[in-house]
Amino acid sequence: MSNTSNRIAGIVVTHGRLAAELIVTTVGILGEVEDLYSVCSEDYGDSLIVEKIKGIMEKYKEEDVVLFVDYSGGSCFLNCARATVGIKGVRVISGVNLPILLDFVTKRNVMNYKEMTNHLIKRGRDSINGTL
Amino acid sequence: MLVLIRIDDRLIHAQVVIGWYEECRPDRIILADDKVAGNKWEKELYISAVSSDIKVSVLSLKETANRINQGVYDRDRVILLLKGPEQALRLYENGVDFDELNIGGMHYMEGRKKVLNELYINDSEKLIFRELVKNGVILETRALPGDEKVIMNSKIV
Repeated sequence: MSNTSNRIAGIVVTHGRLAAELIVTTVGILGEVEDLYSVCSEDYGDSLIVEKIKGIMEKYKEEDVVLFVDYSGGSCFLNCARATVGIKGVRVISGVNLPILLDFVTKRNVMNYKEMTNHLIKRGRDSINGTL
Repeated sequence: MLVLIRIDDRLIHAQVVIGWYEECRPDRIILADDKVAGNKWEKELYISAVSSDIKVSVLSLKETANRINQGVYDRDRVILLLKGPEQALRLYENGVDFDELNIGGMHYMEGRKKVLNELYINDSEKLIFRELVKNGVILETRALPGDEKVIMNSKIV
């Protein structure tokens, strides 16, 4: 799915290999996706993870970037905070799930950054339900 | 009371705060590291990662040793976190006596070689571990309490 009119990039940063699998699954549902990256913590040290995030952000100096992490307060969250220190207007959204990513890819062309990130947080929360 | 002394280069993170919670039931986490203790931003970042029911102290190694030796934390159940073997040896040399050290996470960095999963060490770290072993410290590697406890002493001599 192309991302031309309102180029907002996404970086998914998680424990283990979760980020890569979330993106593979997103692509499996929507087809090819642009400007969406995974950083998997696997066995890497914090400084390498911060460098990987910064390396991707470097490509989007002129555009907006949203960071997604799996667990608020975990090492991925802390490393995103480290990678974005001093950069204004970047949001880190924790608790990433499939509905959040699907909406990110399909709605980033029709919303501005603030609307979209607020929407994604709500979408993530609303997508958690239990059977009766 | 020190319920866990752990080397983990991620210091405070989910594996420690959630993974070890049931086993250790900590009242306090001490993050003993000169660099973090001297960096207000990093210090606050780590403190923000822990729920408010566990107290967090971010201290220099010297201050950690002083406070432990003075008995300040005798009534707390404490998880003590250290970034690497250098910090563990310095604490040991400053009078903090421990028989067992948990090696929970030393991740890949340039120069480090893989010993076990999530355990990469370089040559100078190996030498420091040897010092600890000479002093009778048991180096047990476990990321989580339910993992198999592998004693590393013979692997680094």
